[in-house]
Amino acid sequence: MMEQRPLWDLFITYVGRNYMRILNLTGEHIMISLIAVGITVMVCVPLGIYLTRNEKAAPYVIGLANVFQTIPSLALLGFLIFVFGIGNDNAVCALFLYAMLPVIQNTYTGIRSVPRSYVQAARGMGMTDFQILLKVQLPLARPVLVAGIRVAMVWTIGTATLASAIGGGGLGRLIFSGLSSIRNEIILAGAIPATLLALFADWILKRAQDYFNPSARAVRLAARHGAADDTD
Amino acid sequence: MNGDLPGTQGGVVFKEVTKTYPDGTNAVDRLDLEIRSGGLVSLIGPSGCGKTTTLKMINRLEDPTSGRITVEGEDILRCDPVELRRRIGYVVQEIALFPHMTVSENIAVVPSLLGWPAKKIRSRVDELLAMAGLPPEKYRFRLPDQLSGGQKQRIGVLRALASDPKVILMDEPFGALDPISREVLQNELVSLQKNLKKTIVFVTHDMGEAIRISDRIVILRKGRVEQEGSAEDIQYSPKNDFVRSFIGEDRLSRMSPDDPAESIVEEPWGTAAPWEGAAGVLERMEENDREFIQVVDPKSGQWLGMALLGRLRRAASAGETVMKGIYRERKLYAGNATLRDAAEMLADRDISIPVVGEDERFVGVITSGALARLAVERLRSGREEGKQS
Ligand SMILES: Nc1ncnc2c1ncn2[C@@H]1O[C@H](COP(=O)(O)OP(=O)(O)O)[C@@H](O)[C@H]1O
Ligand SMILES: [Mg+2]
Repeated sequence: MMEQRPLWDLFITYVGRNYMRILNLTGEHIMISLIAVGITVMVCVPLGIYLTRNEKAAPYVIGLANVFQTIPSLALLGFLIFVFGIGNDNAVCALFLYAMLPVIQNTYTGIRSVPRSYVQAARGMGMTDFQILLKVQLPLARPVLVAGIRVAMVWTIGTATLASAIGGGGLGRLIFSGLSSIRNEIILAGAIPATLLALFADWILKRAQDYFNPSARAVRLAARHGAADDTD
Repeated sequence: MNGDLPGTQGGVVFKEVTKTYPDGTNAVDRLDLEIRSGGLVSLIGPSGCGKTTTLKMINRLEDPTSGRITVEGEDILRCDPVELRRRIGYVVQEIALFPHMTVSENIAVVPSLLGWPAKKIRSRVDELLAMAGLPPEKYRFRLPDQLSGGQKQRIGVLRALASDPKVILMDEPFGALDPISREVLQNELVSLQKNLKKTIVFVTHDMGEAIRISDRIVILRKGRVEQEGSAEDIQYSPKNDFVRSFIGEDRLSRMSPDDPAESIVEEPWGTAAPWEGAAGVLERMEENDREFIQVVDPKSGQWLGMALLGRLRRAASAGETVMKGIYRERKLYAGNATLRDAAEMLADRDISIPVVGEDERFVGVITSGALARLAVERLRSGREEGKQS
């Protein structure tokens, strides 16, 4: 047992024997992260929009999100044991609190940075407030907004590895069991997929961003309608 | 049934309209105004006199503090503002084409809000683009960023026309354009107005623009009408010093001798091509009672010289082209020459001076008439300043 096998060899052997478990944990990791980010987006985008209409509340709400952001993530998970007990609920809630700030902040600043002249023109043409939001403000704020979601997504996938510290699932299980048994190959078996997952999620959102970029969209529209593609 | 009762007919009517902003600014003060259906009316006045506020009250972007406004006979305070705005075209100076929408989507904003079927919208967009001389197949899917300033503002106007509204509001729509595009668009607007018979309320602070395009001019001052009438009424019988100074102030009286000569450049009465026979050109000049003509290559736009009557007669009798009768010594370079240079050259000999740019490209001429008008304007405004102080 004391023979000096290189780490990569140990790693490959471990992965070969446990790939089903790694896949399951990866799936669980994705689920926890997606649910957390989903809740964050569903709550924080409307909240950010609300703040653009109630400027007075903005510093307080953003300040509060900032507080959650500042609490060390492991400590936050610890605090939440008192509320949710142990398990994935606790983890999702902590991840949500942790990811709030970039989404609220970017929604708020993104919409506020839309020049007033566009909003005035839209109103002057007879759009309702809701139509202005949907057809003008959100599309123009989209790059900033999606950037906030990207940050939240990457943080969440990273922080979700801590979920297992309070009895949740995900790739953190492997990292923590590797740490406690001092077996680096197990740590890697959790850390590598978690890293790849974060990079992949970031890349997907970047692709989505590019896809919805107005000039890319205009090119697609032109191609679909068989227009002469001369841009002179 | 007839037009006897103001406010029961078409157009836009203001009755005793006052607008005081929440901060106490009195932007419009008991304004009475009647804009007849189918006319192009300019609201003009110094900055802050309430032009924009007046315009915004017509589509209820602002509501009056007191008074009554009717559009096409209807009291607009009784209309739903959103519905009202969809019935009134609106163009602003910042253009504000939505940068994330294509040209056709921008034009289609109001028709979509009105729920037109997609097919009808598409053919309407194409029709409008074609009308503005922008081939639809080329421009439909462009983004605003891919257009020149003049094209953007054209689309801005088309967007306001899209649902065929009876009334169109324009707030300094051409203010941000270069002088050449501005003039092109002004002309387009005038011919559009002739064809479509819209009621257009046009805000500007440029008297020249107002005179060029509108059939009525309303001069505002501190939220009230100072004078109202046709361009001629205002130019030839200004009611008071305020109006008089406002007519002159914009352009001529503010100029100094060190201003660039191009500021009074005009198009010549006509030009000749280098290959034209001297005899034919001579005939044209005699018909028009002119003593000189600029010779310009119509292809390259290059200035080749100025033909004078005397020399041209000699060339004509020898059966030569116009090039034999030219004279190239007197000219001004755009960008370098000042009004003072132009004045000195004109004082020297009474013929128009050609102004050329880089590579001798022809820009236009400066006439003694233009310079005289400038001098008169300066004399008059100087006298008025003396009177006021
Ligand atoms: N939203 C507003 N709140 C307070 N004052 C305003 C507002 N909009 C315009 N004003 C003021 O009302 C006056 C008229 O403004 P405006 O109608 O924009 O003039 P103009 O378009 O002729 O330059 C100005 O003194 C301006 O400062
Ligand atoms: Mg204004």
